[in-house]
Amino acid sequence: MTVNTTAAAVLALFLAAACTAPTPPRTQASTVGATACAHPQGPLGTETATTIDVIEQAYFCILGNYYSGPTLDPRTLLTAGFLALTQELDRDGRDVPDATMPALTGDRKADWAAFATAYRKITDQVPDLRDKLAVATLEAIVAALSDNHARWTHDDARPLDYYDGDGYGLGLQANVSSSQTDGSSPRVALAPLFVTTVLGGAARAAGLHPGDVIEAVNGSAPFVDGKVTPAIAALYPTYPEARPVELRLLRQTTGRRWTVTLKPGLYQRDLAALQVVRSKLLNDDVAYVRMTGFAPDSANRVLKAITRLRTGRTLAGVMLDLRGNGGGSPVEVARLVSAFVHGKVTAYQCTVDGRCAKSSTDDTVELLNLPLVVLVDHGCASACEHFSSAVKDLRIGRLVGTRTAGVISGPAQSYLLANNTVLSFPARHHLGPDREVIDRIGVPPDHYVPLTPQDAAAGRDPALAEALTLLHK
Amino acid sequence: MRQILVIAAGLAVVLAASACSTPAPPRSDAPPVTPTGPATLPAPTGDRPVGTTVLYLTDTSRPDPWNLDIDARELKVTLWYPTEQRDGQRALYMTPKESELLLKGSGIASAPYDTLSKTRTNAVQDAAPAGRKLPLVVLSPGFTKPMSTLTSLAEDLASRGYVVAGIDHTYESYATTLSDGRVAECLACDSDTDPGFGTGTVQGRVADVSFVLDQLPSKWDGSRVIDRSRIAMAGQSIGGAAAPAAMVKDPRIRAGIDMDGTTYARIPKTGFSKPFLFMGTEQHLPGGRDNSWDRDWKLLTGWKRWLVLTGAEHQSFTDSPLMADALAVKPLPATLPAARGAELTRTYVAAFLDQHLKSQRQSLLEKPSSRYPEVKFCPETCGRS
Repeated sequence: MTVNTTAAAVLALFLAAACTAPTPPRTQASTVGATACAHPQGPLGTETATTIDVIEQAYFCILGNYYSGPTLDPRTLLTAGFLALTQELDRDGRDVPDATMPALTGDRKADWAAFATAYRKITDQVPDLRDKLAVATLEAIVAALSDNHARWTHDDARPLDYYDGDGYGLGLQANVSSSQTDGSSPRVALAPLFVTTVLGGAARAAGLHPGDVIEAVNGSAPFVDGKVTPAIAALYPTYPEARPVELRLLRQTTGRRWTVTLKPGLYQRDLAALQVVRSKLLNDDVAYVRMTGFAPDSANRVLKAITRLRTGRTLAGVMLDLRGNGGGSPVEVARLVSAFVHGKVTAYQCTVDGRCAKSSTDDTVELLNLPLVVLVDHGCASACEHFSSAVKDLRIGRLVGTRTAGVISGPAQSYLLANNTVLSFPARHHLGPDREVIDRIGVPPDHYVPLTPQDAAAGRDPALAEALTLLHK
Repeated sequence: MRQILVIAAGLAVVLAASACSTPAPPRSDAPPVTPTGPATLPAPTGDRPVGTTVLYLTDTSRPDPWNLDIDARELKVTLWYPTEQRDGQRALYMTPKESELLLKGSGIASAPYDTLSKTRTNAVQDAAPAGRKLPLVVLSPGFTKPMSTLTSLAEDLASRGYVVAGIDHTYESYATTLSDGRVAECLACDSDTDPGFGTGTVQGRVADVSFVLDQLPSKWDGSRVIDRSRIAMAGQSIGGAAAPAAMVKDPRIRAGIDMDGTTYARIPKTGFSKPFLFMGTEQHLPGGRDNSWDRDWKLLTGWKRWLVLTGAEHQSFTDSPLMADALAVKPLPATLPAARGAELTRTYVAAFLDQHLKSQRQSLLEKPSSRYPEVKFCPETCGRS
């Protein structure tokens, strides 16, 4: 399910960013296609087929609005798109003799015209593949940006029997996330592979437990020579993928080894656990708040929860659990940071030529004046890393756990394409309060506390225990 | 989501859009409009005068789902019913404070904040109920909306011989005045983008509805006029989603209507045979982005209809479009005129209830009508436009 969770979180981020980020700096962007695309307004219409016209719109939309649009060589986009087109032809055993790359010059309009002419000529010969080829081409053009906040959202059908709150997949989360397997997060995955959470569905029905070591996925080793293999990706199928997944498991506590076959599907999740902000009192003097995303109003929810837990007692501090926090709105980040420090810059958003806008604290937020410890891990991405880097650089608290995801190129904005699909990418790239790059590098914890399969099996949370110790020092 | 008059959409889509800080409705190129003065609700179409009263009920068996500091669920229930009293003080549409909170929450500043409180209603405040063995209809409003936003429908049903119990689901609306005068605001709005929010909210509304049905006989003197064997439920948006959910859970509810609400409740896989009416905008055509009606349709095995109103927007089923002039809000282009939306809503809701609670067969529900060409019958004869 993580795939879906992550996707949803990232989507939420896009939506939020689309609304809160300033209008893209169109005037300094290329004059070509500056108006090729607009932000979505209201509900999306019904998705229609992707055509060469949609690809054209996306191409000029990227050149006109993307972070590096002003300096981007259009040939990189078109070459990537053309390669994907030929690969898709090959995949279908339908290669076309004159599917050769047209000569390009670097002129945006002329190169598009040459590309479009070749594209039409090729696809006219395989009319039944037209839709598929268009999708492969546009996906490749977006991927050519190599930007973890660039995404084309299309064909996002969901199962008919889906209910709000349902998950899709095997019903488990392992210590290696889906973004580590698909390359979107550069965090190193460490052996062994083991179950961290059983969410429901097939995994629960098969009796899996946290701490169960996964020795093989569909007969393949998850690690070879200490390096993660693509086999792990099968743990996180997305709809409509429904092929059963075979896992060989070891339960270290009993020494039992066995094999289960899990069929991906929809499963119900615990509604309370889905709340983006949840809080409780730990040890009668620590306000523990778990926040799974920087959703609209989430900073206020966190602050309200702390105020409530603080009523009638003296707190030793605040523990903010941001493990698995997929990000969200930079506005919420700024508000939450502002409860701990005023008058500071939380991040910079910079154009490709190095002109930067500041994200600053919102000094109308009342200071809590409480010690802060933040739990982070490789699932803390995007806005979560904006927050974590601000906590670290501004010295308003300590980070406990493992290095963050490194998925924070810049706040994405959404653009509506003519077939009612959405293209998202940043107009600016993100830097930390010290103007350092956070993207891909991530934010290292002040106290490194990884989770072991033994901890997971015993229900121990060593990072939380360490955080509690720090707050009581 | 924070718009009162704007945005045609199912809840799921609106929830997604609420990630935004309320984009202004598309009216920038319109000439400036000035408020026309308070709105007057359309006259009820039935032959009986209408009375109304408010009841406050407290469920001490469960904590409030939104306000963690309150260990009971306080509800405001507004009743509309036939009366013999034609004259008397017409009921207040909402208080000036409620009007202010609703307009501020909806991002409307084009008219004085107390404007909605001046809306002229048709029901006589606290008139004595008249009649016997009257069917009961529970009404549930959309998210962030006070119950008052369904007054036009409620008054009309009462004039046709129904008792209507409209529930303000506390903290799910921008403004609910409680028994002690406190005004509860929209605490649920803080979490409306959480996954599972719709499912959880609907579960809470089901509990609210069952509690109101439990309490009505003993807590309202007028309840003697009600035939407790004839109960239906209708609602708009998430209030409409609560209707099938409540019916599945509470056997006292015999029939239900969902007006443009994305649904959340699990209907038993074995099927569910009570009469049900889906009535929506073109966002809810079969095969659309929100597939919740397609999903439920397969599981409804009894009498059912799926009507889509051409030109309707999400609020066409509520009083909101009727307030547009008073608020100097320009309606969305190419939408149903406010009065027509109210007429269609009243007509088809009443037809459904007359058929299923009063056993009066309605030809209107059998096929498209030349009098109401906007109403398309789905899924068979309503291709996507």
